[in-house]
Amino acid sequence: MPLDTSTTYPLTKLRLDGRRWNELRLIQAQISTNPASSGSSFFSMGNTSIMCSVHGPAEGRRGDASGSAGGAGAIVDVDVNVAGFAGVDRKRRAGGSDRQSSRIATTLRSAFQSHLHTYLYPHSTISIHVSVLSVDGSLLAAAINACTLALVDAGIPMPGLLTSCTAGMSGSASTPQDPRNNELDPLLDLSLPEEQELPVLTVGTTNSVPVGENNMDTDEEEMKVAVVTMDSKLHCTYVETMLAVGIDGCSQIRELLEGVIKGSSRA
Amino acid sequence: MSNQRQASSASQVPHLSPAELSYLYTSLSLPKTPIRPDGRSPTQFRPLTAETNILPGTNGSARIGFADGTQAIVGVKAEVEKTILSNETLASERGAGPEPTDQEGSTTAAVGGHGSWVQMSIEIPGFRDDDALPVFLSEMMRESLVGAVGTDENSDMTGGLKGRLVINKRWHWRLYIDVLLLSQPLAYPLPLLSLTTHLALLSTKLPKLKSQGEEDPFFDDDWAVAEYLYPRSSPSTGAKISSSSSRPSFVRPPVTLLVISVGENIIFDPNREEIAVADAVLAISITRDTQAGHLRLLSIRTVDPPSRLTQPGVPNSENVNMLGAVAPTDDIAVLNPVTGEEEVPGVWRPRRGGAKRSVISEMVKTVLKKGGVGEEVLEGLEGVEVS
Repeated sequence: MPLDTSTTYPLTKLRLDGRRWNELRLIQAQISTNPASSGSSFFSMGNTSIMCSVHGPAEGRRGDASGSAGGAGAIVDVDVNVAGFAGVDRKRRAGGSDRQSSRIATTLRSAFQSHLHTYLYPHSTISIHVSVLSVDGSLLAAAINACTLALVDAGIPMPGLLTSCTAGMSGSASTPQDPRNNELDPLLDLSLPEEQELPVLTVGTTNSVPVGENNMDTDEEEMKVAVVTMDSKLHCTYVETMLAVGIDGCSQIRELLEGVIKGSSRA
Repeated sequence: MSNQRQASSASQVPHLSPAELSYLYTSLSLPKTPIRPDGRSPTQFRPLTAETNILPGTNGSARIGFADGTQAIVGVKAEVEKTILSNETLASERGAGPEPTDQEGSTTAAVGGHGSWVQMSIEIPGFRDDDALPVFLSEMMRESLVGAVGTDENSDMTGGLKGRLVINKRWHWRLYIDVLLLSQPLAYPLPLLSLTTHLALLSTKLPKLKSQGEEDPFFDDDWAVAEYLYPRSSPSTGAKISSSSSRPSFVRPPVTLLVISVGENIIFDPNREEIAVADAVLAISITRDTQAGHLRLLSIRTVDPPSRLTQPGVPNSENVNMLGAVAPTDDIAVLNPVTGEEEVPGVWRPRRGGAKRSVISEMVKTVLKKGGVGEEVLEGLEGVEVS
């Protein structure tokens, strides 16, 4: 069955799985799933599901490599493991890790290294272990959300929740945007078939929780983009639209995650 | 991390002093009534939670979590693959040529299944794929899975896993079993992984075959009519089975149990501290594959007991600091009846491995006997809802 998003979408304005352009997939999230770790979480967006566990902050084990670097603050150590059964076809891997999972690990590490208040834990390591149970698009975004939940569960201080989401365009978008005749729609939260065909952008945002005097006079909460990655080719005129849609998705996810975190403390 | 890697086959030795080890050993080796640190009876397992079919993208999956927080997820995926016929099978096929009417029989005789059709990989955090522990564990579990039919040459080739994977002479299923340990191995992870794999295989379904005989395989789209890899006892599944080679519904995937001996006592499902003082550690694989529902022993493997690596205690008579402080009659070396080594009571000596034959046969008996531990475990797993 050929997937032809570019021809069916303009007719129906519905995506392959029946969503509208600005709809997220079903999100399920849970924290404290694994009592053996400092913090753990389960996060699924549609058929992408991820389990994440956090160990630490604990004394770093690698004495020689990071002895001086760990002095200023904690080191975030991320390990991503995509299970063999995660995809549609079973993936054969030679050796330890593949390119996709090491790229995700690097992105997660740099995102959380700068996001967390690591200065509170000098000479220590926060190790995050991400297990991908099934893959259906938006893998990096789901991993960021899962890590945020697990880190919150572990009680590691951070200025605000770091949430992430993907955004795409409903066509190849290789020519400049035409303001009079705009037939391409931005799409939110892409699934795997869409991701393979359409340009996609992953954006992660954080809000800093207002403290002190500013606490009272915040009508619009401040949002910062922390992560942006994009692999596909796209005309630059579309980037702004996609970013706007992605950031909006991030704030939707943030509300959901806040609900999960606050709800679980009550139980 | 390098510390972990060194612990090759056994789990990491907990940091217990010789005095603690000796205390543990003494309480576990009390004749007839061992006292375990967590108060379990010798044959009692740790409490666990289990669920099956948690991953929609797999043919079968299961998750088991022990109360101490160790969790494992197993996903089973099946792929259709072309059978490469070896010269040997081609020759035997020519021999079976004159009787093409007996289709079912000649198919199973020509292609009895191959052990390499089952692939197993184990992911343990902190270990690489090719580290000793994952490789050893996966091979230990795979060999009992595959071996479950190796001895069953006579009638029911279809009853075992290898035979079950045969579609026809030219095609077969390839089974990928991926085991994910989600937390650091607190105890030797074998029982957890084996139980989870068992559950995942129980819940594994293969799409129903629509094509017949030697045609290229063609499957029913309807997942609701898919057949269990290990047929369940419900009457609907065993529908189309020729009378000659009935596929028995009581065949179950093997389970590997970890058993240790301490003195004369036999202890099941040991935790990390208990393994650290074990005389012998055995991995016993059992399965149920006969009409009468008897259990069958598939394999026994000895696991390197970590007690070998512990520090010995020093008896007072040899301790320079205690020289003259105690009367020399205080500790007299006695011959340990189990290990045949001279020991001072209350002073820890690393076990050199090895166990008496009577102890090993007692272990096997406890597992296999009617109403024994093996039956209890299989029944417990059967009770998990496979939806």
